[in-house]
Amino acid sequence: MERLAKSYRRGVAITEVLKDVSFTIRRGEFVAVMGPSGCGKSTLLNLLGFLDRPDGGTYRFEGADLSGADDATLSAVRNRRIGFVFQQFHLLDRVTALDNVTLPLLYADDDADDAAGGGAARARRSLAMVGLENREDHFPAELSGGEQQRVAVARALINDPAMILADEPTGNLDAKSGNGILDLLRTLADQGRTIVLVTHDRAVANRADRTLVIEDGRVVAGESAP
Amino acid sequence: MNRAQRITRDALTSLLASRSRALLMMLGPAAAVAVLSTVIVTTQGAREQVMALVSKHSLDMLMVRAGAEVQIFAPRADRGLAVLFEDDARAIEAEIAHVRMVSPVQNQRGIEVVVRDRVVTTRAFGVDSDWMVLRRWGMAEGEFLSDADLAVAGRVVMLGAKVARDLFPEGGAVGQTVRVANDPYTVKGVFIEMGASAGGDDWDDRIVVPFTTSARRLLNRPYLEQIVLRVDDVSRVRETAERVRALLRTRHNIGPGEADDFFVREPEDVERAAVETSSALRALLVAVSIIAQVAGGLATANLMLTGVSQRVHEIGLRRAAGAREADITRQFLTECVVVSLGGGILGTAIGVAVALGLSAAGLASSRITWVPFGAALLASVTIGVAAGLHPARKAARLDPAKSVREQPV
Repeated sequence: MERLAKSYRRGVAITEVLKDVSFTIRRGEFVAVMGPSGCGKSTLLNLLGFLDRPDGGTYRFEGADLSGADDATLSAVRNRRIGFVFQQFHLLDRVTALDNVTLPLLYADDDADDAAGGGAARARRSLAMVGLENREDHFPAELSGGEQQRVAVARALINDPAMILADEPTGNLDAKSGNGILDLLRTLADQGRTIVLVTHDRAVANRADRTLVIEDGRVVAGESAP
Repeated sequence: MNRAQRITRDALTSLLASRSRALLMMLGPAAAVAVLSTVIVTTQGAREQVMALVSKHSLDMLMVRAGAEVQIFAPRADRGLAVLFEDDARAIEAEIAHVRMVSPVQNQRGIEVVVRDRVVTTRAFGVDSDWMVLRRWGMAEGEFLSDADLAVAGRVVMLGAKVARDLFPEGGAVGQTVRVANDPYTVKGVFIEMGASAGGDDWDDRIVVPFTTSARRLLNRPYLEQIVLRVDDVSRVRETAERVRALLRTRHNIGPGEADDFFVREPEDVERAAVETSSALRALLVAVSIIAQVAGGLATANLMLTGVSQRVHEIGLRRAAGAREADITRQFLTECVVVSLGGGILGTAIGVAVALGLSAAGLASSRITWVPFGAALLASVTIGVAAGLHPARKAARLDPAKSVREQPV
């Protein structure tokens, strides 16, 4: 990956959820996406993360147009280049924090780090980045909400992705824990990762470099970098 | 470890982590396989009993005698009714289904057999090379007549045990020459002790020569006393007897209303009824176990589908983390097949225990071979794949965009 800029350009019309949305996000940018409920924020995030395909328009990720790519290719991109953080954390409650973090390695194509030690070492580094190095053997139910979300962030980080997509990551957390997560995302952005965060909370959006406002399927503010 | 192996291992770990769900899912295949292996173990036992019964009473054998039915009660059946011929035997063999072996039989009493100064008067039989197997006789020494002996009408003779004892008290009969009705014959074999028939005929007091030899030399006549034949399916003995009767009536030009000039003797009704009941019961049990397999499969499929809808988030998460559709299919299919195999092992143990219990209680006879284990393995893998395929594909095709967002159930 040699390009310094990633460009997202979209002119889309998807079942009227998103209409002709165009914008660009540069690498390392921390962008918040705001808008009222049902405006298409989450749909946008799913498109950015290749969980969904646009009905029209073009989306270039790291300079490449993947609109014709097959399931295996898109899965590999999700696995290696993108990390997801959800409002509901989506941790597997029957396995430890460490094993939750290791999950994406299951779907990696390279066998280099799959020795138990290699995977576990990476998961520990990942947990250390979110400040949970002492919680690796805990099950999700034994962790606070904020800690659970940190585990989820550690899971998103394990394959060293270029971009993290966070959908209301603080929506289920109290203000203190939420701030902790936002601090964490801020740090990751400062390290050169692209962060796209969906929220309906103005205070949360203010932590980002830039806020993209969507209303009625269109971008009404923040299309380009300030 | 490659990707497929990792995913398989993860599916196993995830099963171990949710043991109660896995156990619940095992119940369907376990019950199905338990029924299957009980049925197999007991029907194999029953089948063996039946086979023993069949061979003890020759329940699969039909005997056509010359003369009307009353003839069999006459003191001398072999009084020389010239109605049955070798062509009748060949026609039965060629035209009637389920007939496996056929032998024409000629016999005559009062045949003198002489070795030096010893003389025995006995009954001579002329038969085909299939006859010994057909009648379930055996040789104590030497061999039974061959097709080659038949082809050349060879002068070879097989001695009944009593005849052999009387003529060769010191043994060593095989290979010796005896005079049968003044013709020299080579002794080819000696039968094992056969005892006596229900009608009092001494089966050890007889000699046997090739049918061609008896027809052309020893008895020098074309007609037969009997045709014996074996039916390949015990449950078809009666219908085969009817077909033989119809064929012979046609061949003998017997018009409607006229009496048969032959008699087809069927095996005893009592024993045959036992055999027929057993095979009907077996068919019923097979049907029951097929129903059990389907029911077990449906129960498992249902639980799998429930599992998929409860695990929508997990599936969405895995997709977001880079799982392909094929990975999700593999995961769920692996879970289902492993659970089903576990159920199969459990079910085989239960089934074999039940079958042994039944036979200990005298309600069934059990015979344990590798068959129930092979069948259980096959059935549980089949149930696993059949029950898991649809839910696994359904899981793989969930829209990941929706499944990560769906509210917790």
